[in-house]
Amino acid sequence: MPDVNQSAKARVMVVDDHPMWRDAVARDLTEAGYAVVATAADGAQALRVAGAARPDVVVLDLRLPDMSGVEVTRGLQAAHPAVRVLVLSASGEQQDVLDAVKAGAVGYLLKSATGQELLDAVRRTADGEAVFTPGLAALVLGEFRRLSAAPAGAGRGVPRLSERETEILRMVATGLSYKQIATRLVLSHRTVQNHVQNTLGKLQLHNRVELVRYAIEHGLAGEFEAGEPAGS
Amino acid sequence: MTATAAFAGARRSSSEPLWRALAVFRFASVGYAALRLAFIDEGEYSRPDWAWAVIAVMAAWTAGTTIAYARPERRSRLLLCADLAVTVGLMMSTDVLQYPDATVHGALPVTATWMAGPVLAWAIRYGRRAGAITGLIVACCDLALQRDAALNAALNGAVLLLLAGWIVGHLARLAAQVETERQHAIEVEAASRERERLARGIHDSVLQVLALVQRRGAEAGGAAAELGRLAGQQEAALRALVGDSWTGSGAAGGPEADLRQLVLPAQTDRVTVSVPAQPVLLERTAATELAAAVRAALDNIQRHCGETTRAWVLVEDEPELVRVTIRDDGPGIPDGRLAQAAAAGRFGISHSISGRLRDLGGTATVSSVLGEGTVVELRLPCAAAIAVATSPGTA
Repeated sequence: MPDVNQSAKARVMVVDDHPMWRDAVARDLTEAGYAVVATAADGAQALRVAGAARPDVVVLDLRLPDMSGVEVTRGLQAAHPAVRVLVLSASGEQQDVLDAVKAGAVGYLLKSATGQELLDAVRRTADGEAVFTPGLAALVLGEFRRLSAAPAGAGRGVPRLSERETEILRMVATGLSYKQIATRLVLSHRTVQNHVQNTLGKLQLHNRVELVRYAIEHGLAGEFEAGEPAGS
Repeated sequence: MTATAAFAGARRSSSEPLWRALAVFRFASVGYAALRLAFIDEGEYSRPDWAWAVIAVMAAWTAGTTIAYARPERRSRLLLCADLAVTVGLMMSTDVLQYPDATVHGALPVTATWMAGPVLAWAIRYGRRAGAITGLIVACCDLALQRDAALNAALNGAVLLLLAGWIVGHLARLAAQVETERQHAIEVEAASRERERLARGIHDSVLQVLALVQRRGAEAGGAAAELGRLAGQQEAALRALVGDSWTGSGAAGGPEADLRQLVLPAQTDRVTVSVPAQPVLLERTAATELAAAVRAALDNIQRHCGETTRAWVLVEDEPELVRVTIRDDGPGIPDGRLAQAAAAGRFGISHSISGRLRDLGGTATVSSVLGEGTVVELRLPCAAAIAVATSPGTA
């Protein structure tokens, strides 16, 4: 374990059931100066360890042996709202990635990404930026379209993308970097970043509102409140 | 050949309950025959002690055949013939045991219903035709015994025997068919479960390692980068292969196809395919044509910009149209050259992409900035492709 006091860099927990992969990621992060405060091989272990290890960033494989990455994300967000979850996944798991993002994950990276891309993603996640791959941008675009296509009855609180946000997401989805987008749209890098982040925020907020509405409609609100103090 | 073997196997295992039922029938019939001799037909026998001896032989033979028939390999033609011969012989012994006019009084042969045993055995073992023939043999013997009785009553027993042989044979064959189908279903299920298990295993191990090799290779550079690139290609190919067998949706069957399943296989280490989480359903031919246009665009990029150019494919399912955007980071096409080439009919874009889209009722537009790559946008209005407006989950 590296020196934990090296606290300029974020504290990271790596959750992956594949030991070779987990060790490789942990080593890369350690070499880059991050404090890998914990590793976990399954979801239950991750949720148990997170309390004591107090990571800033959790690098989470979506496919775990005991529970889905979506459930782990939800559990982590409930117990430790300040934790930022970066989801790693193989391709072809679109719905899982989308669900994890709606449950509060702030970034998504393909497992085939290079070490440099991973470090970059962890750095940005630690800084509170959303890490958007083209794949995630397409998922978010698709989800907003699905929501807006839903029947009017459910449609009061449905979030919508502004034209600018749609434009930017489409650019991200076709592989343009924030810098290239900023240049094309004559915006600052920061503004592009904010737009992207907002889209995720809207989706997560909507998801929480939906969950609460569901809980109230099904008489679960009491349990919800009872569960809250443990969370925050 | 294997089908016949499987059918024979199914016939054996499915007929077991029938053999057990036959044993029950025979024991019950021996009891019935003994009751008849003791209480009903006792006055008709000239030699009742011999008749009891016949009953004893029947009981012994019943026990013997029950043991013999319990094992499939012992149900030989020889045994079944012996069964038939012994039964008929015992039945015919009635002729010398009863008074000549016994049948006129309605007395049954000493074997009573027991004589149907070999008929059922033949039917179970060899099917309805064998059952019917055996039934006919026994019925003829029965009729010969009852030559003095009213034809009416005797005929009744004969027809019953014939029908029993036929119907039990039919039943045995039906049971065998059902068993064959059941075994086939079990095999299919086992195979698909095994495939799923393999897919999970591959997903958890091989794919991870390939992704790791790809990553490490790219970092190391040089020859290792080439290895990494190859590993990446294999990872994408293998993933597409096992991924398909998982979802089962997409490639085959149905009037509609999920465009995502057709476009996702184009993903390589140089090509990123991004799709929504919901299926993008299009009429099947429209989906395959659109996917072919995407492939043509990607081939075009590789041909004109070289292997190292990266490309991104974005599939969007909008309420009124399906849009596929293909962007590359190649050198781009100089102003005017595209129009020139298209006018001359030389450029691949005009034919294999624009032509396809035009046939489908959609449009293809190409835009390019020199030095910043090329964007091909394919638009297919839903009305043209009869797309399902509301994907499942929104309804």
